[in-house]
Amino acid sequence: MTLQGGGTEPLGSTPPDVDRREVWLEEPLTTIDKPSVQPAEPELMVANRGATASAVAPDGDERLAYRSVFQRLFMRPEVGAIIGAVGIWTFFWAVSGTFGTVGQTFGWLDTAATLGIMAVAVSMLMIGGEFDLSSGAMTGAMGMLIIYLVKATGALGGRGFPLELAIPLSLALALGIGYLNGWMVERTGQPSFIITLGTFFALIGLKLGLAKRFVGQIQIGRTDEASDFKYFRPFFAAEWERNKHEFAQRDFWYIALVAAGVLISILAVCELWFKRRAEPKATGLVQFLVSAAVGIAAGIGLNVTDGVGANLAIGVLIALCIVVGLHGWVSWRYEPIGERGSVALDSTMIRRTVLGLALVVLGGVVAVVMDSKSTNNFVFPFTTQGVRVMLASALGVAGLTLLAMVSQAALRVNAASKFIATSALALGIAVIAATIYIASKAPKFRAALFPFLLFLAVLIFTWGMLASRFAERRAVAARADRLGNRMLALGILSVLIGLAIRMLFITKAELLAGVPPAKTSVRLLWFALFTAAMMWVLARTRFGSWTFAVGGNKEAARQVGVPAARTKTKLFMLVAFAAWFVGILVAFRINSIQANAGDGQEFLYIIAAVVGGTLLTGGYGSAFGGAIGACIMSIPLIGISSARWNTDWRFLIIGTILLLAVVSNRYLRTKAGAVRR
Amino acid sequence: MITSKKWLAFVPAMALVVASCSSSSGSGAGTTSAGGGGSVAASASSVASSAASSGSSASSAATTGASTGGTEAVSQTQAGDLTFYMITHSDDGPFWSVVKRGAEQAAKDLGVKLVWKPGNNDPQVMVKDIEAAVAAGASGIAASLPNADALVGPLKAAVAAHVPVITLNSGSKDYQAIGALTHVGQSEDVAGSGAGDRLNAAGAKKVLCAQQEQGNSGLTERCQGLEKSFKGKVVTQFVGLDADTTAQQNTINAALAADPAIDAILGVGPVVTMSALRAAKDLGRKVTIGGFDLTPELLGAIQAGDIAFTVDQQQYLQGYMPILLLYLNVTNQNTLGGGLPILTGPGFVTKDNAAEVIKLSKQGTR
Repeated sequence: MTLQGGGTEPLGSTPPDVDRREVWLEEPLTTIDKPSVQPAEPELMVANRGATASAVAPDGDERLAYRSVFQRLFMRPEVGAIIGAVGIWTFFWAVSGTFGTVGQTFGWLDTAATLGIMAVAVSMLMIGGEFDLSSGAMTGAMGMLIIYLVKATGALGGRGFPLELAIPLSLALALGIGYLNGWMVERTGQPSFIITLGTFFALIGLKLGLAKRFVGQIQIGRTDEASDFKYFRPFFAAEWERNKHEFAQRDFWYIALVAAGVLISILAVCELWFKRRAEPKATGLVQFLVSAAVGIAAGIGLNVTDGVGANLAIGVLIALCIVVGLHGWVSWRYEPIGERGSVALDSTMIRRTVLGLALVVLGGVVAVVMDSKSTNNFVFPFTTQGVRVMLASALGVAGLTLLAMVSQAALRVNAASKFIATSALALGIAVIAATIYIASKAPKFRAALFPFLLFLAVLIFTWGMLASRFAERRAVAARADRLGNRMLALGILSVLIGLAIRMLFITKAELLAGVPPAKTSVRLLWFALFTAAMMWVLARTRFGSWTFAVGGNKEAARQVGVPAARTKTKLFMLVAFAAWFVGILVAFRINSIQANAGDGQEFLYIIAAVVGGTLLTGGYGSAFGGAIGACIMSIPLIGISSARWNTDWRFLIIGTILLLAVVSNRYLRTKAGAVRR
Repeated sequence: MITSKKWLAFVPAMALVVASCSSSSGSGAGTTSAGGGGSVAASASSVASSAASSGSSASSAATTGASTGGTEAVSQTQAGDLTFYMITHSDDGPFWSVVKRGAEQAAKDLGVKLVWKPGNNDPQVMVKDIEAAVAAGASGIAASLPNADALVGPLKAAVAAHVPVITLNSGSKDYQAIGALTHVGQSEDVAGSGAGDRLNAAGAKKVLCAQQEQGNSGLTERCQGLEKSFKGKVVTQFVGLDADTTAQQNTINAALAADPAIDAILGVGPVVTMSALRAAKDLGRKVTIGGFDLTPELLGAIQAGDIAFTVDQQQYLQGYMPILLLYLNVTNQNTLGGGLPILTGPGFVTKDNAAEVIKLSKQGTR
């Protein structure tokens, strides 16, 4: 299993069967599991290997032991990045008036798209154990080349080629440079850091020198001088203006898809977590269906009623439906626990629970008592508002952390203790939700954060209740895993489609309210497709396994028959391909490119990859992490601007994020590795 | 020491004074500067001879001249000729090639020789070039001063050697300390103020001063100048590097969306100005946009009426004027400017003169 690319398979994937290995490698390899092929960095490789090695363990090998859905989740390289991205997004959403709007969301996504395509490719290369410092300069070089080729001949140079000729020509050149990078690294045996640094400078010089030689300027335009520009434009620069696409039923579909997606995801987690019972209990299914029907009716009711009282009543009804419905579903399919035990929290746990709840309440009191009039300016530390918000948040977070620690510890005691501890955590979240409702005047907190936190509290309570009443599955069940993974993928997809509908379409009400125009382009689609394709390559193809292998331990990989040199060269060519593609996207976007375009960006790509959980040393990482890393880089960029902060601090913030990401990634990995046993 | 004997013969008018100073001060560096001095003189003659031809061939001639060097070329220089050195941090980009054309035109008009020495942003290269120019007996030196720490010393030494010095482009703060005749350039501060006046006239109330670099003193001074003259509020913000125009555009978009009061943007570089235009268009906001420097793209947008104006340094003058002023000083002991810098900007390109400027910039003089 050493060669199976670990962390990057999509969450919804089944662990590969043992016999698949023989399909992946050209010839069956018997040495592969022998201790003689030990990776250079045992700890990291263990983590990597463990990420997929959850198949049946006939010989009781601890590496192949069963791991629960949450353990599997936290083993993934990008989980730290996802948590970080959500945290940073929420932070800027909270401090800025406009950051959460659709227009600005398109803004940071668009910024992440060009960065992210490169970050994904660079992640792949880094998993393969190499760097490419020429990737940034390459994007600009390819953009300039395309424009030069298609530019009308005349006083200012240009070749006047059609795009149908210029695109393959430039692609060939890009792949050639990628090949050259790989070839030189292989032939000289020098670190790719040095080789590609050379390519980087060579490219910068070429860009400047050739531009001035042939065009007489360092800025070269324009892409639209190509004769067939209009045929290619839709592929690379088609734009979508939200305000021109009205969709009356938008909110219905948005809410329906997101709600269905969340529900399916929860059921998927149940499928992955609980142990199936031999005979389904039909009353449970009835309980689930009735609750679901009542819940949906209540949800529709929420739409028609008005007034705080009615909304509150319906909210309570929906919460009840969630608890009862999920209980019904789980009791239908899964086996109950025989002995629940009695609550047995030790004194430390009790002290921590009490202290945690006290801190949360204290945070609420601070928030209410320290109320300040200046609602607008709570941005930075020195106003009363700033102190209030920071104090309240710190107390709240500290309290929740304590409660979460207790509920973790209670897992090991017994079911009843676990239920109590988890309920305390849910209570803490509910208190914070209430605080926000009472203390905040900002409509977005009251309308969005308050119900969200309440929902979260209900969910955590329900989960604690279910997990203490029904048996956890402690062995691999291939069919249940496959079903659960597929449901999870479906649920996530449904949520994403729902969000996309919300983002892409506008309602009459919004138009009347004068929502500012928001524009996005096909670049986002390319970003998503490229990321998905690379995730698939890493998780599902032989090339993906080889990538992990050559990055983990090149010599060992070579010995077991992986064509290491060819794999690395292909990875360099992949980065060059991505740079070529990004170059085209930029050339179509702004119609002209300056010689310094892209220079220095290569470090951002590497940072994005590292933030996304890819190791600098190779052999471990994920393509999806690179994409998330790009979002983490772009969110503060747009967020600081939206929050109207002094931009002098930008690099301080980005540096802090990088440090936090690296430290927390490592923490999560060791933590997950420890939990596994 | 060979060189010092040679230029005794070439420059008889100033010979006695200069030679007495430099032969005493330059004795330590004599052996090392000999080769450099010779090659500089060689490139001087080749540039001068090809000054009438196109810019690119002139620069290639200069390179060959410099690399071959030798005494033969030096002996072609005739007594009584004036040789002015223009030593800058030029990267031979679009900006500096216009400066170069200005200097070349001045040399041609006045019948003097010009040695163009681009330092490519490396102060060490400039230091060597300045020392070599003094050693080669320059009639005058026009130098840019991007790095005061490195360059003030050598230029002071040049003044001490009775070589007249004029600074150009950058150095408005230090030219007096050097003892330079004057400074020919644009004060970033004054340029920013000029842009502020334009925005006042356009009726703007709140302007975003969008910077494409952090910690660049020139760009900061542009925004500070804007703050001085602009009557409304100024928000100065770093909006991302030119290397990533996507991020730049989206950052400006975010800044505009966050503050509906912003009704004008001043981009302190041409690329960031175009990013600002795209951001404003995406948001459907009516804002007055001003920019800095000239690019074909920016000039096109001005002609189309999308951008109100751009601040032009008129760098052609930064090449032409120092040569003219040095000539007048050497031949007639004139000085201009009364010790104050001579400003070549801000010149403004607006819709009214955009078409003309586009034509001139194609000729390489704007």
